[in-house]
Amino acid sequence: MTLDQLLTDTKPALSQIYSTDLPELSQAKDWQSKYRVLMQLGRKLPAIPEKMKQPSLLVKGCESRAWLMHYYNQHQDQHFFVLDSEARIVKGLMAIMLCLVNGMSNTDLKKFNLAQAFDKLNLKPYLSQSRGSGLNAMMERIKSCCH
Amino acid sequence: MSHFDPVNFRGHFEFFQQNPDWVYLDNAATMHKPTAVLNAITRFYQRNNSNVHRGAHTLSQNATRAFEQARDDIAAFINAKDRQQIIFCSGATAALNQIAFGLMHTVLQPGDRILITALEHHANIVPWQLHCAGFGVTLDIVPLTADNKIDQQAFTRLLALQPKVVSFSHISNVLGHIQPIAQMIQQAKKAGAITVVDGAQGIVHDRIDVQLLDVDFYVWSGHKLYGPTGIGVLYGKTELLEQLKPIFGGGEMISEVQFSHSLFNKLPFRLEAGTPDISGAIGLAAAINWLQKFNTNEIKNYKTMLLKQFYNGLQAIPGLDILSSPVHNAGIVALNVQGEHPADVAELLNQQHVAVRGGQHCAMPFFSQLGLAGAVRFSFAPYNTEVEVATSLQALAQAVEILTA
Ligand SMILES: Cc1ncc(COP(=O)(O)O)c(C=O)c1O
Repeated sequence: MTLDQLLTDTKPALSQIYSTDLPELSQAKDWQSKYRVLMQLGRKLPAIPEKMKQPSLLVKGCESRAWLMHYYNQHQDQHFFVLDSEARIVKGLMAIMLCLVNGMSNTDLKKFNLAQAFDKLNLKPYLSQSRGSGLNAMMERIKSCCH
Repeated sequence: MSHFDPVNFRGHFEFFQQNPDWVYLDNAATMHKPTAVLNAITRFYQRNNSNVHRGAHTLSQNATRAFEQARDDIAAFINAKDRQQIIFCSGATAALNQIAFGLMHTVLQPGDRILITALEHHANIVPWQLHCAGFGVTLDIVPLTADNKIDQQAFTRLLALQPKVVSFSHISNVLGHIQPIAQMIQQAKKAGAITVVDGAQGIVHDRIDVQLLDVDFYVWSGHKLYGPTGIGVLYGKTELLEQLKPIFGGGEMISEVQFSHSLFNKLPFRLEAGTPDISGAIGLAAAINWLQKFNTNEIKNYKTMLLKQFYNGLQAIPGLDILSSPVHNAGIVALNVQGEHPADVAELLNQQHVAVRGGQHCAMPFFSQLGLAGAVRFSFAPYNTEVEVATSLQALAQAVEILTA
């Protein structure tokens, strides 16, 4: 497995999450269904193989461990990411986050406001609840990839 | 002494009236405070607030009297021989740091050994580590048995290396296991070691008699004993307290200061630099005085009953790995849902308003030995109810169902 391969596998997973899971999530009636969707969603993102989980990829500030890999396409000015977490709910939330930022230009990523974006999708409650789960730490790490 | 009535007991805690839709099972992290404690703190600020030990004025003398009365109450509570053996500090962490720092420059010499166990909280690992390397002292670790108890045979073996200090927790904050501290203290003393007991979880479970235990140091945090945060106690044998090098310098702890040197004050002030947490000490004494209205054994029996109910309920939930043993357990159950991360389980319980902790509980070395990401910890207190135990079991079953669907 290479970063290239992971990036290639992540892309269709994200577009599927965006078109199918996010609408399902916003329509879920009770918390149980919401969490079921969230966990499914995490499962759709390809896992980073154990061997590739270098300590330098570890995102600090999470109760559960999470990893982030980054690739910047200079030609097209696009940032691409692959991420993984050992906790499924966190991974699901991070997958949503990734849907929103993957492929962004450097300028757009710099300006990106996670709270506003989650608010638009009616997902804000997840963000406040999961502040401790390292979603914000992950966002900071993603932004630190900007130049 | 009143007969233990759980409904009456719970009634002392305003928190539950304010949060009727929550089940609080994170008592090992911190406990709630009875009205008696809240009142004592408020009353101090309303009526007696002044700094202690300094003013010649009557108000300061009154505050000093209340503060020193707190010290007397705490000394009596653990049967300390002398009031000066009660050193106020900010908590168990601060106490262990003072002991590690204070011994390292006086009692311990390069080449000496210290013995701790594989079940310690970071607060009983890191302070030793901080000084060991630089000072040339070796830290040995007692391993655990397959059922996560301290390996007593290995303990005996490691004592043969003649550690100068042996430090262990009374009750494990991760598993709830009660360690055989009386026996361990005796063994360590026979081997010539100074004994330190981290009583952060122990002090609330049982009555401690420091003279009977013959322990050299026993430390705890007030907030895990129905008291406020920010106050804790370092109990020590007088001759050892005299030898501790103070970790903090400042006001109150000196008798004479010149720019060339200072002379230290006598105990307990020598180890209490700066303005102490006056209201905290008063709050902690109020907690202790309030708690003594209840019978310790009846409280223990009630907690044991809750624990038994919880363990029985766990039998009906599939796919659990239970790390805590139900015997010699102070009311803490650490478990995992097989194949699931504890953070996920804790979050699904949180959704159902059951407050537990999922993670490593400041015991990373313990979990790395087991190869686990952590555990979900349910910790019970006497203000919890049978209904709450049932609710938490239902919530756990629901979490398992969602995770394994
Ligand atoms: C066994 C044990 N030791 C030490 C501590 C540290 O206590 P504090 O953070 O109040 O200083 C704790 C608290 O979690 C504990 O459970």
